[in-house]
Amino acid sequence: MDKPLTLVHLPRAILHIDADAFFAACEQSRNPALKGKPVITGKERGIVASMSYEAKARGVTRAMRLHEVRKLCPDAVFLPSDYETYSLLSMRMFAIVRRFTPDVEEYSIDECFADITGMQRSLRGSYQKIAERIKQTLDVELGFTFSLGLGPSKVIAKIGSKWKKPSGLTCIPGREIHRYLAELPVHKLWGIGAQTAAYLAKHRVFTALEFARKPEGWIMRYLTKPFVELWQELQGRSVLELETRPKDSYQSIQKFKTFSPPSNDRGFVFAQLSKNIENACMKARRYHLAASGATCLLRTQDFRDTGLEVRFTRPTAFSHEVIQALRPIFDEIFYPHYFYRSTGVVLFKLQSDDVIQLTLFDPPVQIEKYQRVYRAVDDLRRRYGKHTVFLGSSFDAHAFTQHVGERGDAPERTTILLKGETTRKRLSLPMFLGTVK
Amino acid sequence: MATVAQFNKIVSFYYAHKRMPSYQEIMALVKFRSKDSVFKLVNRLIEQGRLRKDQTGRLLPTRYFFEIPWLGSVVAGYPNPAEEELLDPISLEEFLIKNKEATYMLTVTGDSMIDAGIMPGDIVLVERREQANHGEIVVAQVDGEWTLKRLCKRGKKVTLEAANKKYPPIVPKDELRIAAVVCSLIRKY
Repeated sequence: MDKPLTLVHLPRAILHIDADAFFAACEQSRNPALKGKPVITGKERGIVASMSYEAKARGVTRAMRLHEVRKLCPDAVFLPSDYETYSLLSMRMFAIVRRFTPDVEEYSIDECFADITGMQRSLRGSYQKIAERIKQTLDVELGFTFSLGLGPSKVIAKIGSKWKKPSGLTCIPGREIHRYLAELPVHKLWGIGAQTAAYLAKHRVFTALEFARKPEGWIMRYLTKPFVELWQELQGRSVLELETRPKDSYQSIQKFKTFSPPSNDRGFVFAQLSKNIENACMKARRYHLAASGATCLLRTQDFRDTGLEVRFTRPTAFSHEVIQALRPIFDEIFYPHYFYRSTGVVLFKLQSDDVIQLTLFDPPVQIEKYQRVYRAVDDLRRRYGKHTVFLGSSFDAHAFTQHVGERGDAPERTTILLKGETTRKRLSLPMFLGTVK
Repeated sequence: MATVAQFNKIVSFYYAHKRMPSYQEIMALVKFRSKDSVFKLVNRLIEQGRLRKDQTGRLLPTRYFFEIPWLGSVVAGYPNPAEEELLDPISLEEFLIKNKEATYMLTVTGDSMIDAGIMPGDIVLVERREQANHGEIVVAQVDGEWTLKRLCKRGKKVTLEAANKKYPPIVPKDELRIAAVVCSLIRKY
């Protein structure tokens, strides 16, 4: 049973780099008053977005509601999310890794893959040493810790970075892979969800090693292509390439927003949806995209989701058209005896907006006119702020603040304005917070 | 319209659209009536080094799009325009910041560094580092707060000294946790 899956060492050297408790770490690293305390971000949404290791140790988990956290951990510090700072630090993380290799895939805000194959000579050190140096630089320059995994493929690298957290560095060369897989439940593998895990259990496959030991023919017969690739990656063969190009287009655009207190007022909830639609359409127009369909989602106070989807007759990024199309399905899924806490919209099947095929009944002149109107609206919003002009249907969502009650929901950084800064335009440097003596 | 004003219009277009304008668009921007005059303007700007073309002939931005020109030190009397051509301009950002990814800012509240010229309200740019040298002004973590002091290393003894007689030096009880080192100071009037 202790037979290695492969005898190679590191034919490719792929790193997976994962920030430890990223949002909470960003907060702790800039304010020493928060060090060693259970810090939780996501105050403005009422649920945990990220928690520090101190909070994790007390049993706080992601998406837990704040009043539950208070019971577990009365001394927890709740902070509103400061996405401006988090994205600045995220960009820095990628920039630092790019000092070592140009092949970096920005996988999410706090994770990336890096290919360091063949870099030993130019970086003067073994793969392990290079990984150590990347980790050291990230830890020092960003002020919090990262966990790294080094392996012959992306899947193995990802297992490595999870192996020892926080602040770990795990190198899994080809001939060691089987030792790491033996204990790993199959659902912990990247890309295997509850459904697939249950299906595999029917075939008596419970651990990642049992999965990796199945013959390739078996995998191809019973599973689909993504799992065949996963299986190959587990053998230490790199088949998933790094997506190193920056994102210049989107498959879909989503906008979700929570409001408090929850409401059962049809007009108010629709205004919230309408505001999300306007924001989603604005983003689509910025990338010169138009959507062929949209999904409308409503979430009740007790976290029950309902949603419906519509297809448009022609791709569009005009807010008023999307609102008109979603109005009837909103009325279908809205029940006035429920209280709603958030609304959302997903624009999907996006395509470039310069090749739109009109249907027989579309008046081209009118569409031309709307294009001009929206161009003007976007110009105004760019110059004077996102909420300068909006549709009447969104009025109720703009008339009140998003969250009533709890004060201090604006991130601390946004309350400090340096001379020459405005609420919309701030220096792109992260700031140390707390008192400076 | 002077060439400079026309050039500035192209720069603003670049900032607004994140791409260079086409000849057609330049024509509209500078209110020319023919593309031939645009062509002449573009050639003039290329000669001045303010525009570039790629292999396919499309326009590319140059460093003039991003930087405040460095005009050399001020000499009383007549400025020498040739100096602008000789110097390689660096942006104010490059001037103030050495390691971009490790640089953070901090606003000063107290008056403990006033004799070092750091006043309350000043913005200090600091670079995250683990080690600092004797005499450098550092940001250290003391009792759950940031403190901005000069680092003094005498033999094995390390102290944090204020630049104000009112404050006594801080002698760290155990290990001193240095977060960053001051690299520049910004004060706006």
